[in-house]
Amino acid sequence: MPPERRKSGRQRLPIDRLSNLPKNVINSILMRLPLQDAVMTSILSKKWRYKWCRLPQLTLDDDLWEETHDLLSPSIKFTKIMYQILTLHSGPLTKFTLSISALRKYLKINSLIYFLSRNDIQDLVLKFSEWNRYRLPPSFFTCSQLRHLTLQNCVICPPPAFKGFDMLNSLNLCDVTISSKLLESLISYSPLLEKLVLKISDTSDHLQINAPNLRSFDFTGCIKYISLRSVPLLSKLSLPCQKSIEESEKCDFDKFFQLLSALEHLYLANGSDQFLVTGAAEVPRRLSSPLNYLKRFNITLWRLADFSIALCLIRSSPYIQDIEMEVYCSRDYLSEKLEASNEVDEVLASFSDVTLNHLRTVQLEGVEGIKLELQLIKLLLTKSPMLVKMLIDPSSGDNYDARRDKILAATTVQRASSKANVVVSDKYEYYRDTTP
Amino acid sequence: MSSSTKFLTLKTCDDKKFVLDEAIAVRSQTIKNMVEDDCVSNVIPLPNVNSKTMTKVIEYWKKHSEEGVSKDVLMDFDKAFVKVHHSILHALILAANFLNDKEILDMMCQEVADRIKGKTPEEIRKEFDIKNDFTPEEEEEIRKENAWAFE
Repeated sequence: MPPERRKSGRQRLPIDRLSNLPKNVINSILMRLPLQDAVMTSILSKKWRYKWCRLPQLTLDDDLWEETHDLLSPSIKFTKIMYQILTLHSGPLTKFTLSISALRKYLKINSLIYFLSRNDIQDLVLKFSEWNRYRLPPSFFTCSQLRHLTLQNCVICPPPAFKGFDMLNSLNLCDVTISSKLLESLISYSPLLEKLVLKISDTSDHLQINAPNLRSFDFTGCIKYISLRSVPLLSKLSLPCQKSIEESEKCDFDKFFQLLSALEHLYLANGSDQFLVTGAAEVPRRLSSPLNYLKRFNITLWRLADFSIALCLIRSSPYIQDIEMEVYCSRDYLSEKLEASNEVDEVLASFSDVTLNHLRTVQLEGVEGIKLELQLIKLLLTKSPMLVKMLIDPSSGDNYDARRDKILAATTVQRASSKANVVVSDKYEYYRDTTP
Repeated sequence: MSSSTKFLTLKTCDDKKFVLDEAIAVRSQTIKNMVEDDCVSNVIPLPNVNSKTMTKVIEYWKKHSEEGVSKDVLMDFDKAFVKVHHSILHALILAANFLNDKEILDMMCQEVADRIKGKTPEEIRKEFDIKNDFTPEEEEEIRKENAWAFE
C-alpha cells in the first residue's frame, strides 16, 4: 500500500531534513556513495562543504579515473584525487581501500601511505596492478593500529627493526613478494591474528605457521611444505596446494592432523601431494587422534591415495555432517591400480565399527562407477541414520548411461535414514525428454 | 513456553503505548542495554520517536523475527519498506539511530545514498529541499577545487 497522502490546502514548507541529520548518519550515507558523488556533495550548501573531508572510510578504485568521456589521462586524474585527499581530509581515517589495476605509475602513493600511517589506519586494502608490483615504503611498517590488512601485488621488504603488527586480526596476501622467513615472523608477531589468506606462488619454500589465535587459514599457491605447528584454535583449513616443481618434503599425514584437533571445516584439493603419500598403504585407516570437531570436508580425488585419505577422514570424524568429494582420476587409472590393490574388499570390513550419526549431506562429483566408489556410496547410505540428501554426479564420457545405471543400482541398498533424498543427476535428461 | 515470554511496554513521544515481546524489542541495542542493565521498570519512554514511526519499526522487527520466512520474502519486504516519502525516511533514520538498530539504519542510509547517486547537485538540492547558500563565485571556486568530480 502506498503511504497515506492527505490533501490539504496548506502548502508544504520545504524542510531540509537531510542536512540536519546526526554526523554519524551523514557519514554512513556518504560512505555508501562512490567517492566522486561524495565529493560532489561539497557544492550543495555551506553545511555540506567539508562533510566528505571528514569521512573515516574512503575507497579509491579504478572506476574513479577510468571514465571514458574524461579528457584527463588516468594518472593525472589519479594524482589530482590523491592531492585533494592529502590536503583536505581531516580527522581519523580508519579504513582505506586503494585498488589500482590499470595504472602503470604510482605517483603520490608513498605520501598517501605516510598520511594513513599518521591517521591511525586500522583497516587497509592496497591492490596494485599485476604488471607492476608496488614496493611498500618504510612508513607502511609504522601503521601500528592495523587490524585488517589486504595486500595484492606488493613487494614487502620492511626495515630491519620491524617486527610485526601486534593488533592485526586478519591478513590477506595475494601475489606479494615476501621471503618465507619474513612471512613467518609477520604471522608470529601478530598474536591476535585470527584469519589468514595466502595466495603466494613465489615463496616456494618451507612455511611454518605459529599463530595461537588463528581460526581460519586459506592457502593457494606453490610451496614445498607447510607446517602448522602451533595453531590450537584452527577451525577452518583450506589447502588447495599445487604440487611444487621442486621435490616436496615428506609430511606425516597422521602427525599433521594430530596438531589440528579443533578443525571444523577442511578443504583439501591435493591431499596425497601435500602429504607425499604415494600408496594407499601409507595412509592409516584411522587417525590416532580423532577429529571430533570436524563438521564438513571437501576433498578432491586425483589418485588412489586420495581415496584412502578420504576414507581415513570419514573413519576419523565421528561428528561429520557434510561430505563433498570430487573425483578427477581417470577410470583406466583407477581400474589398473585397483587390480593390484585389495582396498575394495577391505573397505566394508574397515567400516564395521563406524556409524555416521551426524552425516546430513553428501555430494559426490565425477563418479566413475568403479567398485570402490559404489561401495562407498552403499556404505554412506547404510551407515548414516540422519542423512537428508545425497547428490551423485556421474562423470561424463563414454558409457555414461551404463555408468549411471550402476550408480543407481548401488543406491537401492537398504538405507539407514528414511528421509534421505538420493539424487543421481542425469546430464542427458533434457535431451531424453525432448527426443520422441 | 509462554510463561518465559516477557513483554515490554514502550511509550512514544505522543504518549502512545506499544506492548511488545522482549525478544523482539531487544533488536534495539538501546532497549537491550536497558534490559541488561536492569533499568526497565514498567514503561520504556522513547522521547524521540513518535507512534507512527514506531509502528513502522515494529512492523519491520516482527517481519524479521518471523520463523520460517524465506530470504526472498524478506527482500521484497525490505524493498517496499524503504520506498517511502522523505519525511518518513527521515523519521525512521532518527528512530533507528536513537534505538541503535544498525540493520534498519544501514538499510535507510543505503536508500538515501541510492537517492543521491548519479544525480547532479541541482537535482539533489531539489530532491531533498537543500537551499544553496553559496554565491556564484564561491560555487565556482568549489567546482574548480573538485574539478575531477564534476566532469
